[in-house]
Amino acid sequence: MNTDTKPSARTTDKAAARPDAQVVFRNLDFYYGRHHALKSINLDVYRRHVTAFIGPSGCGKSTLLRTMNRMYDLYPEQRATGELLLEGKNILDRDVDISLLRAEVGMVFQKPTPFPMSIYENIAFGVRLHERLSKTDMDERVTWALQKAALWEETKDKLSQSGMRLSGGQQQRLCIARAIAVRPKVLLLDEPTSALDPISTMHIEELVSELKAEFTIAIVTHNMQQAARISDYTAYMYIGEMVEFGLTDQIFVEPREKQTKDYITGRFG
Amino acid sequence: MTATAKVDKSAAQGRNLGEFFFSNATRIAALLTLGLLLAIIISLVHGSWPSIKQFGWGFLWSGEWNPPQDRFGALIPIYGTIATSLIALLIAVPVSFGIALFLTELSPPWLRVPLGTAIELLAAIPSIVYGMWGLLYYAPIFSEYVQPALAATLGKLPVIGVLFSGASLGIGILSAGIILAIMIIPFIASVMRDVFALTPAMLKESAYGVGSTTWEVVWHVVLPYTKVGVVGGIMLGLGRALGETMAVTFLIGNMNFFNGFSLFLPGNSIASALANEFAEAESPLYTSALLELGLILFVITFIVLGLSKLLLLRLSRQEAVRM
Repeated sequence: MNTDTKPSARTTDKAAARPDAQVVFRNLDFYYGRHHALKSINLDVYRRHVTAFIGPSGCGKSTLLRTMNRMYDLYPEQRATGELLLEGKNILDRDVDISLLRAEVGMVFQKPTPFPMSIYENIAFGVRLHERLSKTDMDERVTWALQKAALWEETKDKLSQSGMRLSGGQQQRLCIARAIAVRPKVLLLDEPTSALDPISTMHIEELVSELKAEFTIAIVTHNMQQAARISDYTAYMYIGEMVEFGLTDQIFVEPREKQTKDYITGRFG
Repeated sequence: MTATAKVDKSAAQGRNLGEFFFSNATRIAALLTLGLLLAIIISLVHGSWPSIKQFGWGFLWSGEWNPPQDRFGALIPIYGTIATSLIALLIAVPVSFGIALFLTELSPPWLRVPLGTAIELLAAIPSIVYGMWGLLYYAPIFSEYVQPALAATLGKLPVIGVLFSGASLGIGILSAGIILAIMIIPFIASVMRDVFALTPAMLKESAYGVGSTTWEVVWHVVLPYTKVGVVGGIMLGLGRALGETMAVTFLIGNMNFFNGFSLFLPGNSIASALANEFAEAESPLYTSALLELGLILFVITFIVLGLSKLLLLRLSRQEAVRM
């Protein structure tokens, strides 16, 4: 079932502008100790498009996202096998520089996680790990990131204030600014609006649509409407398997798999 | 509405009575503590009054401790108390930080519990055991190997060299400070470990997520996030170091003369002066001077506590809102 989704998804793309696959999963398996959490995943994540991952809780969508920046490395009992190519290079290789990988693949989490430091420092912190910038260049970078994250107008007068004093929605945009300030290739969003109110959620969704002009975005969401609104491609997962992957319009309008259809129409999940 | 009307009146009365006793019992317990504190302060001041009257403020900066002639000054024990506690903190804080960091971030999971328990067990050893161990086993090794090595390295440096000069006796300010460090490490380390463990995993992952190393995550994110608890842990250790009696008595040398700034020299601390001399204090003024030493120790501890509260207040103002 997995193996035939990919080629068929490709045929659908031919009609579209033929995007190129920046991240490629090839027979990726993932284990939490003995628990087999992802089963032979094959998938392409396209450059400068938004790919949404949907599915019931525990289906492995967050796990899948966390393989792309090897966040699971922090936990000794978690491991991935197979191939996960970022622009042709297998990032599961032992010799991959994790710090560098995470500069290329940024991440935003379920809850806003501002660092206990000023707004300016929240953004400069990550940049400083990877680049040596002059004060002027750093100011420019911070401004750029805050503008990109649609937070500049609200924060330009209080950059030295603690990032923890912002509202929840602002904090989450700060986290997005922090992630893009490092200028990653791919941006991972793990249910970025699950802790936010509807207005803040709308801001983040608008932001995602703007950011895809520059970044490849992979977003996990439990909100199907959100996936339908902001993504170009959608992957439906169920208990560790990739059930169906394709253009978002196709998945939501005429899903090929019955399971997908049941989930999307709310008959289960 | 009808349900509430049906409540048995006597049962309600009984419950109210219970509540009355309960709230008053807790109030009495709280007031009792306050009362005891006051009683101790009053008796300390009362007991040390002859000495205060005799020596005035000069007691604080006179280095003379001469029981036969009834002339007393507290400078030597004050210096010894503060110097040993500072040495203890200088050693214990970085070591405890390392222990807490290792236990929460780096240690393989199977090692966490045994290692954490071992460190907590260090806190369960009675201080007199530390004192005997220190005098009989640690001091000889310290004078044989560590002190000559320190004198040959740090002792050669300008300015701070003087701190590491002189005879290798094995006992003295530095020895006592190091034993104190060993004694307070478990306290500081377990508080640090507990507050580090409270840092939300997602916050740490976010810091790893921008490409930080473990060190950068801990130094720039975990430590600032937990600073209130960390300061609290350090103050807990400092409080214990200031008042520690038995272990220090065994190792500080109990010398009431000031011979120079070398940390190799024996000295005295307030607590060990009290422990050693109370039994032999014959003149009323001698006893009174010792009581005044106790009062000073109380004040020092009080100041340390006050300063740490002030520090925490400043920190919390900087960081008005937490996650």
